[in-house]
Amino acid sequence: MKRMLMSRRQVMASAVGIGAAAITRRSVAAQPFTPSAGLVEAARKEGKMIYYTASFTEVEQEVINAFNKRFPFVRVEMVRASGGQLITRVKTEAAAGKLVADVVDHSDRGLMKALEHLFQDYAPPNASDYLPSALVSPRLWPRLTPGWSIAYNTELVKNPPKTWMDLTKPEYAKGQIGQVIGPSGGTTWTRIMFERQVLAEDYWKRQAATKPALYPSGAPLSDALVRGEVSIAPLIYNAILPKKRDGAPVEIFFPPEGVPIVPYATGIPKTSANPNAARLFLDWSLSPEGQAFTIKDQGNLTSLKEPPFNPEGFDPKVAKVWVPDFKQFVELHDKWLEEWNTVYGYRQ
Amino acid sequence: MVVWLWSALLLAILTFLVIYPTGMLLLGTLTDSNPVTDGYQNMHLSLGNFATVLANPNVHAALGNSLLACTGGTVVAVVIGLAFAWIVVRTNTPWKGFIASAGMLPLFVPPLVAGVAWAILGSPKTGLINTMLARMGIEARVNLYSMAGIIFVFGMYYAPYVYMFTAAALRNMDPSLEEAAEISGAGPVRTLLTITFPLIAPAIISGMLLSFVVMLGIYGIPAVLGAPADIPVLTTYIFALTSWAPPRYSTAAAVAMILMVVTGILVVLQQKVLSGRSFTTVAGKAFRPRSLNLGPWRFLTLGLAFVYLIIVVVLPTLALLVAAFRKFLFIRDFASLFDGKQYGLMHFQRLFANPATVNSIINTMKVGVITALIGGVLAFAIGYTVNRTQAPARRAIDVIATAPVAIPGLVIGVAYLWAWIGLPGGFYGTIWILALAFVARFLPDTIKALSTSLMQIHRELEEAAWICGRGVLSTIVTIMLPLARPGVVAAMTLLFVLAIRELGSSLFLYSSSTMVMAVQLLGYYEGGNISVTAAFSLVQMVILGALIGVAHWLSRGAADGGVGRSG
Repeated sequence: MKRMLMSRRQVMASAVGIGAAAITRRSVAAQPFTPSAGLVEAARKEGKMIYYTASFTEVEQEVINAFNKRFPFVRVEMVRASGGQLITRVKTEAAAGKLVADVVDHSDRGLMKALEHLFQDYAPPNASDYLPSALVSPRLWPRLTPGWSIAYNTELVKNPPKTWMDLTKPEYAKGQIGQVIGPSGGTTWTRIMFERQVLAEDYWKRQAATKPALYPSGAPLSDALVRGEVSIAPLIYNAILPKKRDGAPVEIFFPPEGVPIVPYATGIPKTSANPNAARLFLDWSLSPEGQAFTIKDQGNLTSLKEPPFNPEGFDPKVAKVWVPDFKQFVELHDKWLEEWNTVYGYRQ
Repeated sequence: MVVWLWSALLLAILTFLVIYPTGMLLLGTLTDSNPVTDGYQNMHLSLGNFATVLANPNVHAALGNSLLACTGGTVVAVVIGLAFAWIVVRTNTPWKGFIASAGMLPLFVPPLVAGVAWAILGSPKTGLINTMLARMGIEARVNLYSMAGIIFVFGMYYAPYVYMFTAAALRNMDPSLEEAAEISGAGPVRTLLTITFPLIAPAIISGMLLSFVVMLGIYGIPAVLGAPADIPVLTTYIFALTSWAPPRYSTAAAVAMILMVVTGILVVLQQKVLSGRSFTTVAGKAFRPRSLNLGPWRFLTLGLAFVYLIIVVVLPTLALLVAAFRKFLFIRDFASLFDGKQYGLMHFQRLFANPATVNSIINTMKVGVITALIGGVLAFAIGYTVNRTQAPARRAIDVIATAPVAIPGLVIGVAYLWAWIGLPGGFYGTIWILALAFVARFLPDTIKALSTSLMQIHRELEEAAWICGRGVLSTIVTIMLPLARPGVVAAMTLLFVLAIRELGSSLFLYSSSTMVMAVQLLGYYEGGNISVTAAFSLVQMVILGALIGVAHWLSRGAADGGVGRSG
């Protein structure tokens, strides 16, 4: 046990110092975002932008609404598709010379890195405030940084789990726990990497032994948890926090062993027809103001070195964030996912 | 000469709509690259990909589950559909007209909506049915997250297909054969089993094969009910392959090929059945279908019809209502179901707070109208050419136009994307690309719906016009079109409804400004909000209901005005 803790600490330390940054949380009030008058004017002239995202429709609609509160003159048209479908669309459109997106936003940095050549040089004004470990390309930025938590239905669970390791306990067996399938996308891939690298080499095996119910993605799982289809589920915090706020019978916590976070990769394609509107949108999104919005209102974390805010229930002294090593994130992907599928008996 | 040109024109249109995209799909199965992004010159054509897929045990599992679910579902559908047809056409059960129209309602419910409604009702842990059973102190629990659940919902929702075919056959049957049986001393049940059903066997088999084929291509129901129990079928497997990151299109295309082969065999089988046996019972002399006097038993048949209607219409609608108006779907016990504080309009407010919702409704209406108009005209042209003329290549035209039946929508969407994105001009990203995809995809259904009404119009009416010196075109406009108007309106309505419901082929063709309802609904579902999904489902059902009402009224007006039918 002690050895395990040690190694966990080592991994934590090597987790690119994000934890350290989070510990020295300064309660810097999010400074208001002040774009240059020239950019605002140019964006106003364009008047619209097309936004491709792999995040969820409703989550992103809130982002658009918040952006439009500040800049009502940019109409944002959204195309939302699951990770794989979005990549296909971007690739195919680009090949045919018809990529119409002004901003592309994706949870899998590996897949986006491979499409780096489609994107233009772009950096937000506060570029240097971002953690180098969250950046995979000078053209792609972590607009969104969701983090993993564990949630449970308070009506159904009387003795709730307190750690990731608790999810391997037999008392939660027989479909009480819901899990998102490994191959669902970059977000889940980050979590299962964390489980194996940080928690225990055989964590999957022990967890799978509880016979969890498997869900294709996090959003239906969060709904199933509220309805009581499952009692406990690891979930991206932003998928469950709004439900708790609305009064759903759920409780959420950040496990002490670590909080895997998933920096998105977002960029502006070279072919963008509304590059100024896109720039304004991303500058705002990446500014302390924009990040504070996704943290406070939506329950995300951030890849800023100094978070302007911490989401409710996130105590940086207790919960340490964990970012995967990007090289391993890409290299281990296929092999480990195949193993995950086998361990969990998921068909592929 | 003109006839040759006409045939060539139709073939050219069909090549663009059907052959070219199907070719792209075929190409996809034989390569592991995306022909558009990687370029044709870099493609490695081989059968390897296909062989790997064929050897994959997970594909076998999905195929096995698909066959099992569809066979089971078809059996249930035949039992229900046939019983329904018999009750409506051949008995004196009260309120037959009402039963007949209400029984068709499941056809208009998008499969994803049906799946969601039945998940709310029949989930083993939280289903409303189980909550009620617990309240009544009954130990038994239902579990629709199972193969049995998929079969049950399939059977319930696709029974109308069997009903449509068998009701028509029962109506057209000469009752003298049954009378003969009864005179010879056979009881009603024996007559039913040894005379009536064997006589309409071709219709039963047709309905059976059609419902099987349709079930094979359905995504929504097995997606919602099968996923929690880890029961993959071919469609959900294909969908998963396209949504994983990175996606596996060539595998998906190869699995789709398997689906196409199975479907293709069944379609050929159906045509064999239809052409091999003739309805010798449909004689030249006029008769009225006999209706059996059931005496007091007619209330039993009425009761059965009501049970069916409660199961397929009332219960799912109630489930959607609860989901759409209730704050959270966690229902502690039966009493909390009636707690007024839990209900409100919040999900509808959220639904309409999103501008994409209204946009998707408007876009869907546009696509629906364009599809119905283009598809209606094209189907009429093809149907007329194939059934009524001696135009060259009309057999080939028929075969090509029927082929899309066998292609699953999920995959043809990618094929259309690959095939049409490279076309010059601003075609991609417009409503037209969606409409054309729907026209192609539903061509067989539209032609089928139209052909029936074309066949009913006797040739002598056209011949009379020719004798009076009218040309072919003039005859079509003055004789055929007015007479076939109810059929044309019905076919266009069908096409409109199918286009509105269509999800699979829309997924890859919509753009930010052409988002349609089905895609938006899937977005809400995948976004994990069952309540907003239910609210949007209800909105869709109301819109569809209103439109069908209008269309029905239109075609009825036309039918009243149409006289002089022969044959």
